[in-house]
Amino acid sequence: MLKREVAKRVFAREFEACRELEKSERSDSEAADSKTPNLLISPLGLILNRVFVVGVITELDNIGTQSEMWKARIVDPTGAFTVYAGQYQPEASIFFSTVQVPAFIALTGKARTYEPELGSVFVSIRAEEVNVVDEEIRNRWVVDTAEQTVERLEAFSDALTSGYRGEKLREYLLQKGVSSELTEGIAIALERERSPDEFARLLRASIREGLKTLDLDSGNSTDAKADQKEFVLELLREMGGSKGVDYSAFMGAAASRGISEQVVEEVIRFLLAGGQCYEPKIGIIRLVG
Amino acid sequence: MYEKIAPHLEELTRALGDLEKTGIRAEFDKLIAFRVPPDVAKESILRKFGGKRKVLKVKDLSANLKNFELTGRILDLGEKSIRPQAGAPEKPSKLYTGVLADETGSVLFSSWKELPGSIGDVVNIKNAYIRIWQNRIRLSIGEQSPVSKISDSSLPPLSELSASYKKKLIDIGAVDFSVDTVACVLQLSRREAIVKGRQSRMISGVLADETGRLPFTAWIELPGIDIGSIIRIEGAQVRMFRGMPSVNILSSTKVSSVGPEEAGKLAFTFESAAKDPVPIKIEELGSRDSMFDVSVAGNLVSVRPGSGIISRCPECSRVIQKGNCRVHGKVEGIWDMRIKAILDDGTGSMSVMFPRELAETIYGKTLEEAEQLMFSDVSKDAVYEDLRRFLTGRYLAVRGNSSKSEFGVSFVAENAWVPEDDLAVRVVELLRRLGPDEENVPDKNSQVSGGGIELA
Repeated sequence: MLKREVAKRVFAREFEACRELEKSERSDSEAADSKTPNLLISPLGLILNRVFVVGVITELDNIGTQSEMWKARIVDPTGAFTVYAGQYQPEASIFFSTVQVPAFIALTGKARTYEPELGSVFVSIRAEEVNVVDEEIRNRWVVDTAEQTVERLEAFSDALTSGYRGEKLREYLLQKGVSSELTEGIAIALERERSPDEFARLLRASIREGLKTLDLDSGNSTDAKADQKEFVLELLREMGGSKGVDYSAFMGAAASRGISEQVVEEVIRFLLAGGQCYEPKIGIIRLVG
Repeated sequence: MYEKIAPHLEELTRALGDLEKTGIRAEFDKLIAFRVPPDVAKESILRKFGGKRKVLKVKDLSANLKNFELTGRILDLGEKSIRPQAGAPEKPSKLYTGVLADETGSVLFSSWKELPGSIGDVVNIKNAYIRIWQNRIRLSIGEQSPVSKISDSSLPPLSELSASYKKKLIDIGAVDFSVDTVACVLQLSRREAIVKGRQSRMISGVLADETGRLPFTAWIELPGIDIGSIIRIEGAQVRMFRGMPSVNILSSTKVSSVGPEEAGKLAFTFESAAKDPVPIKIEELGSRDSMFDVSVAGNLVSVRPGSGIISRCPECSRVIQKGNCRVHGKVEGIWDMRIKAILDDGTGSMSVMFPRELAETIYGKTLEEAEQLMFSDVSKDAVYEDLRRFLTGRYLAVRGNSSKSEFGVSFVAENAWVPEDDLAVRVVELLRRLGPDEENVPDKNSQVSGGGIELA
């Protein structure tokens, strides 16, 4: 079958915790075929190869020596993806050679792992197609990804509390309407993880925080916090935030307009988590877009 | 020479049974005659005939399967004389065709040899394969497919197997021949068509129930039936067109109106069935051979080559390259625009085809504007590159028909729009599913460890 791999929606937090799925671990005979792609498995049992990610590109370096090799960092509400594009990804490389950092970008690519020494694993994406998008698309991606992750989390917790393992667990999950792929993944993940619920708990907290930072313009942003945020954002823009503003100078300016340091800090943290601004250097704040 | 091939023949006999009878020996000898080394010949014979023989049921049959075993009852059997092509040395051969059924469905078959049974008998076929014929799968029984008659079989009797199945629209597929269903008429139009040289009136339209929609065609008058009618159809024929089933109402089909009190008990009404389809996951499209009039939403993760401005043959509308049509030779092409893209929602991915009107809508440029772009740029891929820049990563919802092939799901869009659902509502629901903040609930772990300390 020459079927295209589905692009999985996954947050950086879960993605970087993925590990290689050995071919021998897959039960179906088709998977044992050497043509099947390299698959990774997350602590929650998500089996993936291709991913679709929307986030903020905050860093971009050409690390190639002989030929170009771009390394980019793409931030989502839970963490960051490391993305590479080299001479065999010409379209992505051309994109990275022209993109202005920071920007909201959408990217498809294949997951790769690199293990320089035992115990330290780096998970990255080899870019296929990249494009600049708007904040609306980023927000939708966060909500979509949260929905698919929460579905996974629920199936995973269900599997944990059932107490079943192996074949019995597979039967239990399939009967509950969990897809056969996720069932397989959860069964494998539960055999691997030593403290499986720990990661699930961290991810839940991380998604909850991420969702709260979304700026949805939903009309009910009349509360004081939203106003303050708007004001701080405005001030950042005025002071040339898209080029970068010195944090302490900004604090001073905000204080002179009657905003407490505490509020500024809170808003900046909120903006950082939401991907609307970032720190190119320590002590410098720069607005996205 | 024989000593060289004997061990290989022995091995083949062990794996495949009697070589002489099934013609495998002849095949092997042919390879040897072509100077194929005996061990390589053995390998390829094993690959072709051997391996694990799969035992399948009719419902499991799909295109491109080969070398499987199937047991079924013959529902129908006929024979055709095939005239040899002019100049071919072979004598006229006969093709035996009919219908074979088991408890999971029925399938058309064609056999190049006489079967050891007639209508009503149960036969077991080994090394059968599937061919596509007239848009539906057909079980093929070749010279090398051993067929045996089974006298005592647990398969349901002929009368039960040949009865038509009562089905919901979504369950109607390529394995069905004759179905019964209750559905509501969503669209209906009458037209004249010339069939086999005779002018005949036909009715075509769309049926719907709570599970889905299907097109239908009627070759008889349907008095008193119009859009909005809820009808019972008995003994309709299922035809396949481009992988899509269609309900065919013939003179042998019984069509009757469903009375109001019975209609009240159905799981759908005209109003509910006529609503726009609710978006479904792409995963679901992948689990069925085809789906008629459904909608899905996802991201356009890739715009495929071949999108943009194309040139078509004025005679046959085929896409032409360098001014040459595959059929009509050198022609003056007609410009057209289309987009082929991959839509992916995280549960599945499919290839979507947007014809010109839709391509213009989602691209935001008309064909004429795109042509200007094409002529103003040195690169001949200017429009394709522009499409990629504009569309890659975007959200899009599409409505249309899907069908599945060996390359995955393909979808022909009839409508496309940017989905607008309220993210804030979805976020609230997600936060509820995620449960309360950890800080607010007493930490389970600390309680457990506290208990541990007390015990110590």
